Formats: sequence, C-alpha cells, structure tokens
Amino acid sequence: MESFSTIGLNHYLVISAILFGLGLFAIVTRKNAIVVLMGVELVLNAANINLVAFSKYSGDMEGVMFSLFVIVLAAAEAAIALAIIINIYKTFNTVDVSSIDSMKE
Amino acid sequence: MHNLIQLSIIVLLLPLLSFVLLIFFNRRLPRNGDFLAVGFLGATFVISAWIFWNVIVIGYDPAFKLVWNFNWIDFGDVPGVGPLQIKMGILIDNLTAIMLAMVSLISLLVHIYSTGYMSGDKYYGRYFAYLGIFTFSMLGIVLSDNLFSIYIFWELVGLSSYLLIGFFFEKQSAADAQKKAFLTNRVGDIGMWLGILILYSQFHTFGYEEIYEHIKAGDFHMSQAWLTAAGILLFMGCVGKSAQFPLHVWLPDAMEGPTPVSALIHAATMVAAGVYFVARIFVILTVDALHVIAFIGAITAFMAATIAITQHDIKRVLAYSTVSQLGYMVLGLGVGAYSAALFHLLTHAFFKACLFLGSGAIIHAMHHEQDMRWMGGLRKKMPWTFVTFTIATLALAGLPLTSGFMSKDAILAGALGFAEVEGGGIYYLIPVFGFFSAMLTAFYMGRQIWLVFFGESRAHLKPAGGHNDYHGHDDHGHHEVHEVPWAMRMPLVVLAALSVFAVFSPDPLDGAKGWFMHLVQTPETVVAADMQHDEGVSSHHEASKAGNEGVHEEAGTMLHTAEAGSEQALSAMHAAADAAGHTTAEGHGEPHEEGYGEAHHGPVFSDPRQAAIAHAAHENHDPAIMYSSIMVALGIGLALIVYAFGFINPEKTAQRIRPLYLYSFNKWYWDEIYDATVIKGSLLLSRILAWFDSNIVDGIVNGTGALVRKFGTASGGFDRYVVDGLVNFTAFFVQTSGAAMKKIQTGKVQTYLVMALVAITGYIVYYFIQITP
Repeated sequence: MESFSTIGLNHYLVISAILFGLGLFAIVTRKNAIVVLMGVELVLNAANINLVAFSKYSGDMEGVMFSLFVIVLAAAEAAIALAIIINIYKTFNTVDVSSIDSMKE
Repeated sequence: MHNLIQLSIIVLLLPLLSFVLLIFFNRRLPRNGDFLAVGFLGATFVISAWIFWNVIVIGYDPAFKLVWNFNWIDFGDVPGVGPLQIKMGILIDNLTAIMLAMVSLISLLVHIYSTGYMSGDKYYGRYFAYLGIFTFSMLGIVLSDNLFSIYIFWELVGLSSYLLIGFFFEKQSAADAQKKAFLTNRVGDIGMWLGILILYSQFHTFGYEEIYEHIKAGDFHMSQAWLTAAGILLFMGCVGKSAQFPLHVWLPDAMEGPTPVSALIHAATMVAAGVYFVARIFVILTVDALHVIAFIGAITAFMAATIAITQHDIKRVLAYSTVSQLGYMVLGLGVGAYSAALFHLLTHAFFKACLFLGSGAIIHAMHHEQDMRWMGGLRKKMPWTFVTFTIATLALAGLPLTSGFMSKDAILAGALGFAEVEGGGIYYLIPVFGFFSAMLTAFYMGRQIWLVFFGESRAHLKPAGGHNDYHGHDDHGHHEVHEVPWAMRMPLVVLAALSVFAVFSPDPLDGAKGWFMHLVQTPETVVAADMQHDEGVSSHHEASKAGNEGVHEEAGTMLHTAEAGSEQALSAMHAAADAAGHTTAEGHGEPHEEGYGEAHHGPVFSDPRQAAIAHAAHENHDPAIMYSSIMVALGIGLALIVYAFGFINPEKTAQRIRPLYLYSFNKWYWDEIYDATVIKGSLLLSRILAWFDSNIVDGIVNGTGALVRKFGTASGGFDRYVVDGLVNFTAFFVQTSGAAMKKIQTGKVQTYLVMALVAITGYIVYYFIQITP
C-alpha cells in the first residue's frame, strides 16, 4: 500500500517510460518534421527524468549534471534541427518526412 | 711486326677502301670516282712493287719466308671439338711477292683500261667499286697464311666474280651466267671446305705451316686414303675456281661480263687462284691425289683446246683457251712440275690479260661485234692492238722468244719426266694430251689472228638482224673502225712487253735459268715415303726404304746413272739405294753436284719419287722443246694453210667431219649433259621435295593446326559455359538479391527507424529469452 501512497522511484520510471513511448510514437507516426522534432524532445526529456530520478535515489549529483548537459544539448539540437528543416523546406517545398525519399535506392 | 708485313696489310686494305668509298659515294664524286679507284690501285701497285723489289730483287733467296699471325677468334674449349682458335695471318714468300705484284699490276692496268672501255656506262662508279672488292679479295687469297682465311677470301672472289659477270644484269644471258658461275663454284667450294675440315679434325689448326709440320711428323692418324681424300677435296676448290673439267662450264659463260673483267678475273687472276691454292697445299698431296690432279688437268687442257677451235665468238675462243691453259697449270702441278706450273701461271696471266684487253679493244672498236666471222682486216686500222695482240698470241701458242714458250715447255718436260718415272703406259697420255693441246692452241690462235686482223672486213656479210644477241645497238649502219684511246692502248703495250722472254730469263730456250724458277722452287713433299707405300707404283719406293739414311746424298749419283730409260732407272735406283746403306761415307763426300750440274738449279729431294721426277724432267727438257716446237709449227702451219692460203676450205671440211665438228662446236655437249642429269635431276628432286612438303610436312602442320583448333574450341566452350557461367551466376545472384533488398531502402527516415526499433526489440526479446529459459 505504501507504494501507492508515497511516490517512489518506480513512479518516476513509469512516467519516464510513458513519456519515452509517446515521444517514440510521435517520431514514428507523425508526418510533419516539426512534430517529429517535438517527439525527439519528448524522448530526451524522458531520459532526463530517468537521470534525475536515479540521481535523487542514489544520493549524488551526477545524474543531475547529466540532465543539465542533455538540456543544453537538446537546445543546440533543436536549433540545428530547425535549421535543417528550414533547408529541407527550401529544397523540397515541404516538411513532410514521408515524401522526402530521394535517398531511395 | 716486320716492315713488309705492315706494307702488305696496307696493300690489302687499299682496294677495300676504294670499294667502300665508291660503293657509297660514287654518284657524288666527279667522274663517278674512277680517279679514286685508279689512284688507290696505283698506290697498291706501288707498294706491291716495293715489296716485290725487296723480296725478289734485293732478297733473291729461294727460302725467303715471312709469317705473321694473330688470334682472330678464340672460342675457348668447345665441347666435342676441343680448344678452337682461329688465326688470321699473312705469309709472304717469293710466290706471294710475285703474285702480289702480278695481281696489283694487272688490276691497275685493267682499272686504267676500264676508264676507256666502260666510259658512259650507267653503273660506271659501281663497276669500279666491284673491281676494288675483287682486288681486295684476290690479294687476300694471295696473302693468307691459313686455310680458313683463304677460304673466306675464296668466297669473296666468288662473290665479286658473281657481281661482275652479271654486271650487265639487265641482259638475261648475263644474269643466267652469273648464277651458273656462282652455283658451279659452290660445288667445288663445298669439296674444298670438306677437305679443310678433314685436315682440321686431325690437327686442330688451319695454318699451312702447322699442317705441313704435323703431316711431316706423322700426326695424321687416319689411313692414307683419308689424306688422299683431303687432297682431292681441297683440289675440288681449284676445280671450281680454275674451271677444270668437270666444273669448267661456267667460265665460257662468264664472258658475259665486261671484257676488262674477263681479262682481270676470268683469265689472269681469280681463275689462277685455284692453281695458286693447289700450289699452297702441294706438299701435303699424296701420290694418288697428284695423279688425279694430273689427269684432270690433262683432260681439261685437251678438251678445252678442241672446243676452242670451232667457236665463233672472239671472247669464247679466249675463254676456252684460258680453260685449256689452266689445265696445263694443273697438269703441271699434278706431275710435280710445281715451279713450272706457277711460272706458267705468271706468264699466262700477262699474255692472257693482254689478249682479253686486246679483244676488248677490238669489240670496242667494232661497236660490240664479237663474232669473228664478221671481223677481218683490222690490222691496218688498229696497228697497236694488232701488234700487242700478236705478241701475246705468240706467247700463248708457245713460240720461242716468248714467255709462254718457256713455261709451257717446262710443264711439258715435267709431264714427260713424270710419265717416264711412273712407268709409261697410261701415264704417257698426260704428255700426249699436253703436246696435242699445244698444237691445237697454235691452231686456234692462228685462226683467230687471221680471222680478226687479216683479209678484208667481212662486216657487210653479217646477216641483218640475224645475230643480234649482243647489246643490239649497232644495227644502225656500220661505223668507221678506229684505234682505241690511249687509256686502253697503254695496258696492252705493258702486258705485251711482259710477254717477252727477257723479262723472265736470259736464255729464251730455258726458263730454269731465269729468276722465277730460282726463287720458286718445288718444295719437298711432307707426306712420308712409307705412307705412300700402299700406292701402286712402288718399285722406287722400296729403294727409299732400303737405303733410307744415305739416300739423300745418294740421289744425285743414283739418278745420274738413270739416263738409259725408266726401267733401267728404277733398277739402278734399287742398286744405288742398296749401296747407300753401305757406302754412306762416299755419298757424303760429294753431294749432288755432279748429278745436276750447272744447268739445273733445282732443289735436291730426299723423297725418291720427287727426285726421280725432277731429274727425268730435266733430262726431257730438250725433247720437250723439240716436240712442242714441232707441234706449234704444225698448228700454226695448219692455221695458215686453212685461213691464210685457203688450201683447205674450213666450211667444207667442217661439213665432211660434221659429227666431230658439232661435238666441238657444242662444247662436247657438257651443258646439255648437265642439263639432262644434274639440272633435271635437281628439278626432279625439288619436285619430289615440294610434293613431300605440300603433302607430308604441310599435312603434319595442318593436322597439328586442326588439332589445336579442336582443343581451342573445347577450351573455348569450357570458358564460355563453365567459367563465364560462374561469373554470370555470381552477377545474377547479386543482381536479384540486390533487387530484393532494395525494396527495404524506401528513403523514408521513419521506416528505417521502425526497422531499427523492431530489430532492437527483437534483440532484447531474444536476450531475455536467453537469460530466462
């Protein structure tokens, strides 16, 4: 019962897993590149939750430090990814990832 | 190196230089470079004359000899042969010095003469180049000190003879004649080469001197028949080059060449090379070989003389006369009259060259008319030619006061002596042939002189266009006949002057008193007497065995008693030789002086046979003079009766003895005989070989080809189906699998991601199954 009343590590991990699943779902199914990017952000944040949760329960600050780096990287990644998307749009006139298949064969 | 050797090398190389310069540059030189050739030959002659002066006039030593040689090629130790070294070298003795002067003098005269005779010819410069290479090769033969180098130069004179016979190569007959000459000589040369190889196989050297010494030392380990064979094979070279029976057929045809060439090569020098060569190998010839040589010479002399009497072409008469005289020389060598034969070589060279150059002058003046039937009356129009030609004719016929008389007489005396010593019978055929040929020579030369120079011109009798095989451009009327220019007259005068007895001997009746017979003496044979023992005529050889030690000094005395005749001579030799064993002391006391006396300067031979022949020849000197004078008088008399006085009509006589006349006119049918046997035979053989070639050899080749093609087809099939199949299958597999796999490559990022997810998920599932069974 206690496990229901007090919030433990498992809760964090479940949240993180759900968030990761949603992010992955968004990446795989969405057609809009922006939305795919948003899915990536979800996946990254799922990982952050994991890191912070483990950090909290292990008693040191390493996981927090990692998650801070991940946030910084995510920011950089978002900037670069958006720039790529703008360029894709300029080239193909669309951001629909399913129609960008000139790498085929 | 001796001074004279150096000079002789220069002499040898000057004509070669002339050849090289003229053959390449004659078109760029003024006058096509003839002055260059004449100049080089002039220098050659001057140096040769200097050598002659030093050796003959200053030296005057019968035993003079100068040898120099160097290793030309060293093959090292050849397996199966042994050490093989080929030397080149120069041998100068009296004979060489005389030949050197003779060859270069005649060559120089012919060069000078040719500037007149050949002027205006299309290939004027090339002609002089050819003369140069001929002179070079001929001097090489004369100067060689070994069999190998003489063989090289031998072939070179063959080549230059070939080039010059066919000089007018645009004419079919000249082209045929040059081929005939070359091929006929080839037959003889093969024999000569085999002879050289027999000697080489025994002694491993080519040098004359070494071979003489080896044979003298008895190093010849095979039977005597092999030595005889070697001698006869070497003689075959002479048979080819000196146009002896049965290879004489090429020389008359060689008259297709320019007339000065006929004088130089086919009368005076090259054809005498054969005689010179036999003289070089004279000492190693066995008695059997000498007999063969004597008979060949006698047959040649006689046969050619009989042919010469019916020929119409002025040059052909001279050609057969040359063959006949060469027969004399060979006969002389065969009977052991070595120095007489070489003496005849020298005298013949001068007067025959004079005759040929004279005939060239006549042909030149008559605008290439060569048929004596249409000549006549040239005596007044060409006085210089007439006089010189007549002197040379008298020398050839052998009239006293000429050089030819002395040399021919010496040979005939030798032949008589030989027949006597060999015991008569069949051996008397040789002097009989000789004397008979002397008569025929006088006859045909008388006929020639009369037809050409006396009477009235018969040029108008010539059937128009009926006799048009020479040059053919003389049909537009008959030009005035005129004396030839000085360039052509001068050589005639020089050569005619050299045909007089005084050049050679103070006594017009006896050449043995002259310088030649003193300087060129019959050498001692090196074939040991006991080696000659298995030969038939052996009675006098037993004498040599019986009194071996004392016989040298005894020979003189012994032969002195041998005057009564050959049979008694032989028995006397027996007795003397038997006595020699006991009375050596006496023999030593007075060596040979009384036997030979003052008149005979010849050497003393330790070989009894040679000694006997030399003595008998000396004894027969006077009879030979008598017989030959009678024969010559008969011959000239007959010629005068027939042609000058007209007591006998030659045409009617010819009709009466038509078969004989035709036999002579058609040259004893030798050409026809060779055509029917050798030529037809070779043609048949080549046809058989051609059949063999086209059916058997080609069959084998074609069969192999077909086999290879079959194998190739099979191998090609394997290639196409198996190897290519594998390759193609690999390609096909890759292609099809690639086609299948490319479906995965959609180009859509999300598909790839899904695949990665599936793979990772699959892997994780697999992992968990692994660890949790």
